[in-house]
Parts: sequence; C-alpha cells; structure tokens
Amino acid sequence: MAAAEQEKLEALRQEVRAWLKKNLPEGWGSPAYVPPERGSKEAQELGKDWQKRLYEAGYTGFGIPTEYGGIERSRAEVAVIREEMQRTGTPPPAGSLGPMIVIPTLLRYGNEEQKKRFIPKILNGEESWCECFSEPDAGSDLANIQKTGVRDGDEWVVNGQSVWTSGSKFADWGVAPVKTDPNAPRHRNLSYFVFDCKSPGFEVRPLKQMTGDAEFSETFFDNVRIPHANMIGEEGQGWYVAMATLEAERGGGIQFVAPSRRIEATTLGGVDNYVELAKNTKRRGGIVWDDPLFRQRIAQFAIENEAIKHGRERMRVKAMKRQLTGHEQSIGSVFSREKNQRQANMVAEIMGANIQFMRGDPRSLDDGSWTYTFLRTRGNTIETGTTEVNRGIIAERLLGLPRNRM
Amino acid sequence: MAIEYGLNEEQEMLKTMARDFLANECPSTHVRELMEDETGFDPELWKKMAEVGWLGLVFPEEYGGSGMNFRDLTILMEEMGRAVLPGPFVSTLLQVGMPVLAYGTEEQKNEILPKIASGEVIFTLALTEASASYDAAAVQVKATADKDVYILNGTKLFVPDAHIADYMLVVARTGDGAKAEDGITIFIVDGKSPGISSTVLKTIANDKLCEVVFNGVKVPRENILGELDRGWSEVKKIVERAAVGKCCEMAGCIQQALDMTVEYAKERKQYDRPIGSFQVIQHYCADMATDVDGTTLSAYQAAWMLSEGLPCTKEVAVAKAWAGEACQRVMALAHQIHGAIGVTIDHDLQYYTRRAKAAEVTFGDARFYREIVAQELGM
Repeated sequence: MAAAEQEKLEALRQEVRAWLKKNLPEGWGSPAYVPPERGSKEAQELGKDWQKRLYEAGYTGFGIPTEYGGIERSRAEVAVIREEMQRTGTPPPAGSLGPMIVIPTLLRYGNEEQKKRFIPKILNGEESWCECFSEPDAGSDLANIQKTGVRDGDEWVVNGQSVWTSGSKFADWGVAPVKTDPNAPRHRNLSYFVFDCKSPGFEVRPLKQMTGDAEFSETFFDNVRIPHANMIGEEGQGWYVAMATLEAERGGGIQFVAPSRRIEATTLGGVDNYVELAKNTKRRGGIVWDDPLFRQRIAQFAIENEAIKHGRERMRVKAMKRQLTGHEQSIGSVFSREKNQRQANMVAEIMGANIQFMRGDPRSLDDGSWTYTFLRTRGNTIETGTTEVNRGIIAERLLGLPRNRM
Repeated sequence: MAIEYGLNEEQEMLKTMARDFLANECPSTHVRELMEDETGFDPELWKKMAEVGWLGLVFPEEYGGSGMNFRDLTILMEEMGRAVLPGPFVSTLLQVGMPVLAYGTEEQKNEILPKIASGEVIFTLALTEASASYDAAAVQVKATADKDVYILNGTKLFVPDAHIADYMLVVARTGDGAKAEDGITIFIVDGKSPGISSTVLKTIANDKLCEVVFNGVKVPRENILGELDRGWSEVKKIVERAAVGKCCEMAGCIQQALDMTVEYAKERKQYDRPIGSFQVIQHYCADMATDVDGTTLSAYQAAWMLSEGLPCTKEVAVAKAWAGEACQRVMALAHQIHGAIGVTIDHDLQYYTRRAKAAEVTFGDARFYREIVAQELGM
C-alpha cells in the first residue's frame, strides 16, 4: 500500500478515535456506565441518537448509492472505522431492522420515489422499522400468509394478524407481505407493503419470551388502509420481495448495519469474553483455561468464527460492489446460529452450577448475561427461518437438488 | 440377582397413582403459580403428599413409613419429573430422610423420620459452597468444638429450600486431616437457630436455591449424624443417592418433553401437512427417543443397584453423566420442533428447559462424573 494512503488511513483512525471519545455516552466502557434496560424506550432513544451521530459523522451508510443518502468509502476505510468501533464497543444502534432488512429490500425492489423517501431516514436514525412476516399458521410455511388486502381506490384495506413481529414496540414503519389475490396460486398471491405504524387499526401486543424480554409482538391489522404507492415491487410479486428481505435477514443483514461490537458479538460470540471467563473460573481445584479439553473447544470456536467473519465480509464487499447477495446467506445462517447454541452450551459447562444465576441476582456474572444468552440462543435456530428451512434452501436453491419443501 | 426392566404390580400401582395424583393436584397451571410464588411451596399439596404416603415411602413402618424401597421411590421421582413438580421433596426425603434412616441413631430416627413422613417438617442438605463443587475439598464451612456444642461459621450456596426448611443437615469441617476427605462432619441443625440467615437466589429454574450464612451457630454435640470427622463417605453416598433420584426425575422430565413434542408434531400443520410427516422432524424425534431411552435405562440400572445395596459408583456416574447431557440435547430438539411458540413464557416447555438445565449441574455434571467413570475404568 502506498505510503500516502497509509497515512490517510492512519489519520482516519485518529479521527474516529477522537470522535468516539467525544460521542460515546458518559462513562462508556467503565463499570460506572449503566446501559438503559434492554428493549426500553430509553434504549431505543439512545440507539436512534447513536445512529444519527454515526451517520452525520460519515461512519455508516456504506455500500448505499449516494442519491439515497449513502456514503462512499473505500473498503480499507470501512475496515478502519469498523475496527475502531469494535475496539471500544458502541451503543447498539436502534431499529437495526431498517438497515438490516428494509434497505436491501428497497434497493432491490423499491422504485425511485420509495428509495428516496425511506432510505435516508433509516440511515439518519429518524425512522425505525418492524417486520410483520410470520402469522400463527405461516411460520416455516411463510407462503401461507392469510392477511388479506382489498383494493379500495388508491388504497388497500388490510386485515389479519402477524406474530413474532420483530422491532414492533417502537417502530415508526413496518413491512408486510399481504394476500392481495385470493385466487392466485401460492407464491403469486401476495403483494408487499410498507406501512405507517401510526395507521388507525394497527395494534401491537408484546409477547414475552422465556428470557423475560419481549423482543417480539403480536400485531393486528383491523381495516388498516395502506396507500397503493406503498406497494414495493409489483402486485402479486410479494413473495419474491419477501424472500429478498429474508435473504438479507438470514445473513444477519450485516452489510448496511452500523459497526458495533454488539452486532459482531451476536454471531462471533466474543471469544475474548469466554477466554476471560475460562481464565477466571475454577473447577475441581484447577483453572478451566488449563483444562486441555476446554482449551481445544474454545480454540475451535475461534477457528469457526474466522469462517463466519469472512462470510460477512463477503456480503459487505458484494454490497459495496452493488452486487446482490443471495441464497448463500442461508449457509452463514445455519452455521452461525447453531454455533451460537453450541457456544452458549460450552459457556454453561465452563460455569457449572453458576449458570443457574439469573439477571438480578447479585452473585451472577455480568448480571446473568451468560444465562440470558443460554436461554436466548434456544430461539436462534428458529428465528428468521428455521435451520431446517435454511438447509432446504441450500439443498434446493444452491445445490439444485429436487424440490421437497422443507 | 438381575435387574428387572418392567415394574411389578405394586410399582405399576404406584406409578399410576402418582400420575393421577400429580395431574389433579399439581397440573401445569399450578406449577406456574408455584414458580411465580415467592416461597414456591404449597403446604396443602405437601400435606396431601404425606397423606398418600410419599413423604415416608422408604421408611419402615415403625417410623411412620410405607416400607417401600429406593427403586420404588425413583418411580415416583420419574413421575415428579414429568410434572416438573416444585417443592422440597428431594431435599427432605432424598437428601435428609434417607441419610438419617441409614446413619442416624435410634433416637435421631425416632425424632426425625415420623415428622418427615407426616409432612410436619421440611429438611434440606447444606453441602455445596461458592465453588459449587461436590469434592471434599469444597467443604470449607467450619464447625469448632466448644464444650458441649459445635459452633458453625461460613457460607453454603445452592442450598435447596433453606428458606422454608425447619431443619438442615450441614456438612462442615471439624478437623484438618492429611486428606480433604478427613475432618468432615454432618450436623443436624435447627433452621431457626440464631445466626442462620437464608437468601433465596434468583436461578434459572426458579427452584428456590438459597445462600445460607452461618454466623456463630451453636449446634449440640449430640446432633452429629454419623461419626465425627468421618462424615465424607456418608456425604458421598448421600450425593450418589440424590443424583440417581435426580436422574430418574430427569428421565421423566425429558420423556414428557418428548411426548409434548410428538403431540405437537402431529397437530401442527405447515405446507398443508403435519410437520411430524417431514423426515427431518421424524429423525429429530427419533434422536430424542434414543436419548430418553438411554437416560431411563442407565437411571434404572443405578437405581436398582442402589436399592439392592450393590456397589455401583460407576453405574451412578454413567447415569448422571448421560442424563445431564442427554437432557440438553432433548430439550434443544424439543424447542426446535416447537418453533417460536416454545420459547414464550406462556408455554410449558420452558419449565422443562429450565429444570433440565438446573438438574444437569445439580449433584455433579457430566465432566464430574466422566472423571469418575475414567477412574473406575482404571485410568
């Protein structure tokens, strides 16, 4: 690399460091910092503000055309920004579903007007999004969506119910595939809409998980009126638009999401964290880290994380080259989600009886975050398409094996 | 003498009676209430369990018991696992009642056992400490002799049901021998003695494990169970017995999770057919059944051998090592097949997941027991 370019990158690194120092919440990284409760309004506000700051500083929005608010950076620059953000960690950006799934969907299927209207406000943190996909009888069989839309002049009148709606508690906008032609065959009977969550008739009822959090909701559509102009793609094309959304989500949608340690940690699992844990945990009189069996397993996770990291980097590079990411996202999804569970299981083994401590017990480590992770990861191989559905996609779409639905 | 795989008439009756009783007296709605309740204990249910003879099941009739054996008791444990029954049954009967029967003086037996059988008292065992290990070296709580009493100082952790226990067995260090196993004594301690404070921990199974602090607690010398300084061999047997009881409870727990899952796979339709008709789901269920079977058989083997008084260190280790890990595999697949509904707080499956996780680490996890198996193999 030319010396001048090296110098430019080093200057950027210093700039990002100074910026982080100035912009991270007070006390960040020290025990004095108490983050707002997960899923609370405060957490949402903090995340929105963080996204806004990042965007204004030019530290997110890569790979998106500038006419929709995207920011041009070289791959090397992006890497520097990402490294610095990962070094300090950052507040989780709020409403990451917008960059994660809505931007890729709009880039692929939205018209000019839609892209100009929605993408900039996702990037600057102004509007957050929810995803009304699954229904009680349309889980793995998503094509079985029963939510109906009837055309009335320039609007569609939508009725029905979603379940496991992600991001719905504080969302400003939502995406939803809707059955607009009850007589058309499967996969040709849906149309895909974006809608304003303040629309009369749209109701959100939070669903509590066994972790105690309510990350998802049941959402109800009672004569919700959606302008025809909010249809993404053609009428009857909704299944394919929905697949674009899911492809992005299955890959972790990482290509447009602002860099932060937390986002990486969800799949890379913070090997450093459990190396620390292993070094600080005594079992049967010895340190876990000295146990050759645990050392082998922890090292193996570090090895597997390399593959995941490169899968993600491949997506980012594709996005920057304006190339579509496709069904290969299912490979990363199956592998990293199952790995998450295996990893949580191993951490539980390291902790032994201490894995029993839940959040709120003063004796718990990291306020019970490992136990939380153990319980939370049970859903990892279910959400955004079960690993069975994803294996089917790999077998049929990528490998061309005969069709067998699931 | 050979192991019986089937149940005799009396055991069949016990099993049927237990299943009916628990379905009526502790359905999942009641489990939910108890899980959310601060004490997690239902005195009415406890009384009824005493009335049907469960609390004194293995005591001879002279102590108010039913005179059944340990293998019979494990049949009950299996049903309790199916129902994820909360409460101090394991702590009172397995961790205390049986040891008192085995190692107590006639006076201690006469004093304690009838009260346990009648449901008058709740007992628990205070063994583990901050290291959460079941090794002798982990016993650090001290008991110092002072005239005709011993004075207890230190902290026990993961003590089940201490917040409601009338009495507890406390494993304490009374001397410093050449080996960690020397100088350990078991005391029978009044739960209301001055200087004892219990705090309920916030745990994954919401199973009312406690931290118990002993601050200058006075225990009369005659309250020693077994022999002074030589308690460790008895503690080992208490843990073995409780571990096997736990394995049978775990077998019931995952059998029920399997049954719930198969039922769901038959009912839940996607792509216009029951998901149980998909080969991948069938294979998952088959894997679950294989793990449940292995857990059950190895638990039965250990239970039978203990019941017959045969040496079975290896068999106990095999059973608990197997059960601990098999439970995790079974519950993971149960969740996978149930899909999103199974991770909600309103679904019963979460109770089985939580219980299975706690059971895995209680009385020793697979790593602990694999080491014992290795030693038994002469490694």
